[in-house]
Amino acid sequence: MQLSREALLNAYRAMKTIREFEERLHVEIQTGEIAGFTHLYCGQEAVAVGVCAHLGTQDRIVSTHRGHGHCLAKGCDVEGMMKEIWGSREGLCKGKGGSMHIADADKGMLGANGIVGAGAPIAVGAALASRADGPGPDGLNVAIAFSGDGACNQGTTFEAMNLAVVTQAPCIFVFENNHYSEHTGFSYAVGTAQDIASRAQAFGMKAWRADGTDFFAVHDTMREVLAHVRAGGGPVAVEFDTERFFGHFEGDPQRYRGPGELDRIRAERDCLKRFRAAVTAAGLLDHAEIDTLDTEVLDAIEAAVAAARAAARPTAEDVLADVYISY
Amino acid sequence: MTKMMYRDAVLSTIMEEMARDPDVVVLGEDVVGGMGTAGGPEAIGGIWSTSTGLYDRFGPTRVIDTPISESAIIGAAAGLALSGKRPVAELMFADFIGVCLDQLWNQIAKFRYMFGGKTRCPAVIRMAYGAGFNAAAQHSQSVHQILTGMPGLKVVMPATPADVKGLLRTAIRDDDPVIFLEHKALYATSGEVPDDPDFMIPFGHARLTRAGGDVTIVSTGLLLGMCEAAADRLAAEGIGCDVIDLRTTSPLDEEAILDSVEVTGRLIVVDEAPPRCGLAADLRALVAEKAFSSLKAPPLQVTPPHTPIPFARELESAYLPSIDKIEDAVRRVLAWR
Amino acid sequence: MPDIRPFCMPKWGIEMTEGTLAEWKLEEGSAFSRGQLLCLIETAKITNEVEAEWDGVLARVLVPAGGDAQPVGALLAVLAEPGTSAAEIDAFIAAFRPAEASAAARGGAAPAAAPAPAAQAPAPQPPVTKPLLTNRAISPEARKLAEATGLDIEPITGPGRDGRITLQDVQQALRAPAIPALHGTLAVVEEDAKVFASPLARRLAAQHGISLVGVKGSGPRGRIAKADVLALIPAPAAPAPFALVPNPPVVAPFDRVRKVVAQRLTQAKQQIPHFYLRSSARLDELLALRKTANLVLGSKATINDYLVRATALALAQHPDVNVQVHGESVHRFAHADIAIAVASPKGLVTPIVRQADRQPIAAIATATRALIDKAQAGKLAFEDMDGGTFSISNLGMFGVEEFAAIINPPQAAILAVGAAARTPCELPGGGVGFETRLALTLSVDHRAIDGAAGAAFLATLKDLLETPERLFA
Repeated sequence: MQLSREALLNAYRAMKTIREFEERLHVEIQTGEIAGFTHLYCGQEAVAVGVCAHLGTQDRIVSTHRGHGHCLAKGCDVEGMMKEIWGSREGLCKGKGGSMHIADADKGMLGANGIVGAGAPIAVGAALASRADGPGPDGLNVAIAFSGDGACNQGTTFEAMNLAVVTQAPCIFVFENNHYSEHTGFSYAVGTAQDIASRAQAFGMKAWRADGTDFFAVHDTMREVLAHVRAGGGPVAVEFDTERFFGHFEGDPQRYRGPGELDRIRAERDCLKRFRAAVTAAGLLDHAEIDTLDTEVLDAIEAAVAAARAAARPTAEDVLADVYISY
Repeated sequence: MTKMMYRDAVLSTIMEEMARDPDVVVLGEDVVGGMGTAGGPEAIGGIWSTSTGLYDRFGPTRVIDTPISESAIIGAAAGLALSGKRPVAELMFADFIGVCLDQLWNQIAKFRYMFGGKTRCPAVIRMAYGAGFNAAAQHSQSVHQILTGMPGLKVVMPATPADVKGLLRTAIRDDDPVIFLEHKALYATSGEVPDDPDFMIPFGHARLTRAGGDVTIVSTGLLLGMCEAAADRLAAEGIGCDVIDLRTTSPLDEEAILDSVEVTGRLIVVDEAPPRCGLAADLRALVAEKAFSSLKAPPLQVTPPHTPIPFARELESAYLPSIDKIEDAVRRVLAWR
Repeated sequence: MPDIRPFCMPKWGIEMTEGTLAEWKLEEGSAFSRGQLLCLIETAKITNEVEAEWDGVLARVLVPAGGDAQPVGALLAVLAEPGTSAAEIDAFIAAFRPAEASAAARGGAAPAAAPAPAAQAPAPQPPVTKPLLTNRAISPEARKLAEATGLDIEPITGPGRDGRITLQDVQQALRAPAIPALHGTLAVVEEDAKVFASPLARRLAAQHGISLVGVKGSGPRGRIAKADVLALIPAPAAPAPFALVPNPPVVAPFDRVRKVVAQRLTQAKQQIPHFYLRSSARLDELLALRKTANLVLGSKATINDYLVRATALALAQHPDVNVQVHGESVHRFAHADIAIAVASPKGLVTPIVRQADRQPIAAIATATRALIDKAQAGKLAFEDMDGGTFSISNLGMFGVEEFAAIINPPQAAILAVGAAARTPCELPGGGVGFETRLALTLSVDHRAIDGAAGAAFLATLKDLLETPERLFA
């Protein structure tokens, strides 16, 4: 562990913010106040934060329908996101996108995406833009395609991986394998492949695997990955083995889970618990300061929800705005 | 003015805009042509000759030859555009939107709106469309009726080399996504093109190519020439036709159509796409709603039938609109009792 | 068959479209004699007495007095000779079709369903409609109308699935053929690459000589709309003071074609003793026939093509007009080679339709079209213009009422054709109506053709144009 105290605190705060953001949405959605479909990222926080901790705003990410974690990890505003999910005109996307369509180009967040597998080609395009701009002092800017084990079966993802290899674009395909594509198990849906990384290797790119519930494993892997890509080594893939604490969407009865499965992964595979245990055991942070951080995060989420409830609602005239820049 | 072919107007405009703006990049299947072969890069130079020489001049980071992966091409164009570039992507045949529709429809068209006006996606997607070469059902289609119906896209259908020049330059400099439809059968046609390096034609401004007080004929692309020929024949009998070239189907120059129909009271829409739920149906509904009191006869459409495009020469020519079919439609609206 | 006659709403004057039956002067079933007062009819202007024109019986009253106004042509009553049976009257009503379009537009023989007026009259028979025996797909309303009017639906090309016929198709078939008033072509106002204005705005600006450069448009996407141009049209109240401007001539030397035209026409006008015969022909039958022929036969023949055909047939009958003058001899021809004057980019040219008296209309139309296309493309060959026994110059499309043309030597006559004009005329039964007349002026070379010969030819031509079915012989 080579991380500074500040970096550790930041990482924990980021993961805890995602966790509490999602846990709170899980509660609020049941009141019926939030419209539409919501897919929660709970359980996968170490991946988003462990990846994005290495990125600057000129590095771009493309996310998925399960995108809250990626948005928050890439720096999107908590309150702006909460307002968006509440459908306010003060939301990050003025209430036009909602949970599945949050983007903030200024932060290098090119967009969550409601279509599984649609993001990978877009990330390749962003990487080709970086390639055209050429390397800066720290090497090439990179583009990251977050995909799940569901998207790894989409033809678009295959096309994107091949195009990235053909053009040697600085693109990183991050596969978050949470073992479920919607309601179907990984062992069924991914055919003959034992893992996603080896499938990526077949496209001619380097690939890594790591435990996605261990923040330090993610962080260390990504350090290596980014050194390779920024230096012009071409596209790579990384598969993180992780867990989804909630259903595919909010309201999913999760009848596909095994007995005690949710309790087991909450107990053994919770990246926050593992982080706390690791840093306290190593004497890097103590429980009291982590508890203080927890309180700060809960307060921030409470404030964001209050702000979202009070925020201005969009009007019928807003329907017509922002289809085109000029028409 | 310089006389040039439609295809050369495409190529020269891309060349000029790439030279002017380093953010303009080109990508597509075989836009370089010959990559990975004994012939080497530029062995082909694009099957339509609309990208010949770009690779030699601007190199591989700005002229990206892709595998046959339409979703990846359009997706990459989206990513490039969201990242500040001005990609000009080529779909070799417009029919191939079938394999990349998600990227056009759910992605590029919707970014700006979904993301609350926060993003800019200045992508141009060029496609060769249209029948006339016996290329049968999967390589001859006119897809504008599908794309025009998608909010967020602009759809351009130039009919002349000058319009290619003016409209493609506008498309590349436009900050919204633009579908640029080039008719295969027009590539080898020639016309005078203005030399002004900033010659641009704004979108949504139709062109009146024939003026007459009796019937309004609206069309685009290849069929425009047939409409003009029919109008010229009818003029010899004293029948005057307004022939309107829409130039862009989105945005639509509604006013040009309504202004004309208010004078003539008779409308014929000539379109290369099948008749149902298409441009011809749309424009006739527009006129029925907004110029009903001016109408002297039911608005007619001249389109292919509700069938796929057939292969054999006799079948394809029976399928397509023709000068005779347009002339017949004019006579039918005039004969309305 | 008994003598059964319709009694319809009369048309008094061209403005009358409908009238009201104010009073019946006799009861249903009563006999009348010629000159007896039948009824009073009110129009917007007057109340008229209507007298019987023959001896008969008021067999059936269909429109009672004091009801709604009826369109001109509507069936008001049926008159018949004594002894005609009710069934025969019913059959007559069922088969009756109004002559006037305005009545048809109201739904065919609508008054046929009107209730019988008098209480003592026999119980009204439901109108006998002929059931439509057909395999054609037809909408219920269309079937009703076709049955009520006895329309033969077989010639109708249904636009629906499997050729299904709609009410609209039946209504169309019942109406008189349309003769649309055409506006014709207009000049295209070229688009200025820097100015974006609607076509109508450009046309208006050009008409008023207004430059649109720099004008701020108020329309969508900043386009200059009609209103923007109207706002720029200077108010007529403040006319600019008149001032002379420099007006130098633009000198253009004659080109080759113009030199030839100038030389030949000067020679013709100076050396040929022209005399002129003026006439005009009623064109209504020809216009109606052409409309039908074009629609039904798919022909594309223009009025000019019919003129060429008629002239050629007339010349074949009058070979003494179908001549050329060479020095002091006259060359007569059995067949007519008609030169038609065509304005081409290079000036006036006169390509020739060969032996037009031996060619049907469609062939003349095709040949003429080809010649005009060649002329406009500047591709006429010498043999397209060499010879000719007679010329036609038609300026009707420019609205010229009539004019006299110069003979094109060595030919000895030329026909100048003006615009077809709607002209008042006396109707066969008295009163004034309108007809379409075409002005014809024949220029004749008196050296070769005498006045009587020219006049006889012109009379034949007029006759052919007025009975156009002979042009198809």
